[in-house]
Amino acid sequence: MKCRFVAYLATLWTVLTLNFFLPRLLPGDPLAALLDPESSEYVFDAEVRAALEAYYGLDRPLLQQYAAYLKGAVTGDLGRSIRLNEPVSELIGSHLPWTLLLTGTALGLASLIGILGGAEAAWKCGSLADRLLTAASVVASNIPVYFVGMMLLILLGAELQWLPLAGGRTPFARYDSPLAAAADIGKHLILPAFTLTFALLGSKFLLVRNNMVGVLGEDFMLVARAKGLPPLRLKWGHALRNALLPFVAHLAAHAGMAITGAVFIETLFNYPGMGRLIFEAVGARDYPVIQGVFLIVATVVLSANLLADWLNARLDPRLEERVG
Amino acid sequence: MRAMPRPAQRAGVTPLRLASALGTDAFLGSIVLALFVLVALFAPLLAPYDPHQFVGQPLERPGPDHRLGANDAGQDILSELIYGTRISLPVGLGAAVGTMALGMLVGSVAGYAGGWLDDLLMRIVDVMMTLPRLPLLILLAAYLGSGLIQTMVIISLLFWPATARVIRAQVQSLRQRGYVKMARNFGGSPGYVLARHILPQIGPLIAFGLVTAAGRAVAMEAGLAFLGLGDPTAKSWGLMMRFALDLPGLLLTDRWLWWLLPPGLCITLLILALTFVGMGLERHLQPRLKRR
Repeated sequence: MKCRFVAYLATLWTVLTLNFFLPRLLPGDPLAALLDPESSEYVFDAEVRAALEAYYGLDRPLLQQYAAYLKGAVTGDLGRSIRLNEPVSELIGSHLPWTLLLTGTALGLASLIGILGGAEAAWKCGSLADRLLTAASVVASNIPVYFVGMMLLILLGAELQWLPLAGGRTPFARYDSPLAAAADIGKHLILPAFTLTFALLGSKFLLVRNNMVGVLGEDFMLVARAKGLPPLRLKWGHALRNALLPFVAHLAAHAGMAITGAVFIETLFNYPGMGRLIFEAVGARDYPVIQGVFLIVATVVLSANLLADWLNARLDPRLEERVG
Repeated sequence: MRAMPRPAQRAGVTPLRLASALGTDAFLGSIVLALFVLVALFAPLLAPYDPHQFVGQPLERPGPDHRLGANDAGQDILSELIYGTRISLPVGLGAAVGTMALGMLVGSVAGYAGGWLDDLLMRIVDVMMTLPRLPLLILLAAYLGSGLIQTMVIISLLFWPATARVIRAQVQSLRQRGYVKMARNFGGSPGYVLARHILPQIGPLIAFGLVTAAGRAVAMEAGLAFLGLGDPTAKSWGLMMRFALDLPGLLLTDRWLWWLLPPGLCITLLILALTFVGMGLERHLQPRLKRR
């Protein structure tokens, strides 16, 4: 475990360093749009240009910039957005809750349905229902998410007008009570969250089902059956518990998405989350924002994986022996 | 080292044998896929107009002259749709080959060499697989530019790690087989043993990987164009959807029916066809699955 931790720290440092150097190696520096004579946003005043470079620290030697970047990363100072002229940490702070609401809801729903459905399908492995569900999951997880979202948007949003077309809440709305605010936000959440759930569901169902089919064939299941345990206990207590082990790592792999949001869905539904922030920052070459977001993402993703490793070792003592 | 034999020949997988192993799903998938390929090949004959020419009224409704109407610039939507195959298919193929080539290179080197090289390469794979791909995809697309070649390169660069992991596991297990050990003991160089004895064994796996990678690449290419990060001059299905959605109030009329829906359906159909072919190949790889 200690060895793993060191490895994770090393990886984190590598990612942070890449995050710093890659944008500087690739064409166009952080102020390219403002400093490039060809660009429409070119700043003509040479003095202002120099001041801008000095303000963002671009006139200093690379190593000094790197040191400042690492210091900022540790202290949580992620610089200022060039496009919006706001601290990056504040931008992330205002976008992250929306994304967490969306991805959290979808991940929770998809996991719940996937686990219950997958376990049921595996229990009745080979039945018509199992085969239909499995085929449907493969198909569903391969349909592009933007197409699913578009169809839902057209059907429920535009044609039937049951649900709002875009945004995280009604613009300029003033709520009488927190309850009204929650209802409005909830109404805006349904379509994007449902789309994301649909996109995530297939892989979760298949993972649980296939694991559970494997577990059902294990010797200990035969013993448990021979002991005369009731079927419900067999299914949920013995089989599912063991089949869920890989699910922990699977969820950790989604930690990145939980933070960065679903770019397609947020773009399509105009949802004010991290996905849109990233997308717009990339479009405007707003490097401090891009770097800040990736820094947070890398940290969270690697921490989530470390946590999943630790949890898996706790849940399944066999792993500790094998890894050593 | 002797000239390397082509892995496909060595694999003992002939199209005929593959076809007989395919199920209904893969059969249907192959037919749809073949149709798309034919449409791409004969696009100039099938399309009523040049998709770049302004042949109709802007936003013309479907009629006898324009079966699917015209877009906001007056270009024939059906022709755009037909020519779209000439973007999705090559990009899908190119990106799939790129993904597999990178994944096979890293996977076979890591699996064959073992030791610190294996550790290092797998560490990189782990990191790349945990980082969220979509934001990286957008970032790379913005940095590298938006040509079709760049799109293929970007997709290959982001999706090889999964392939590398699968190939590595196979190479590792094959490496322990008697005949491979023998070949090495007779002084076969790593390159020779890999090309002559190991890669042919994973031929079917490569075929499966190519099909899956192609499906993902088609989705990603369309997705990039949909986000406005694709080649703005290449009339792809994703770009058609982007232009349709950019029209203010598109969803308030029934225009989406012939402008937005057809490209979306084409992308979905192509991806599903590839998925179904992949499912057939997977069954071929794992006969154990057939029992159930």
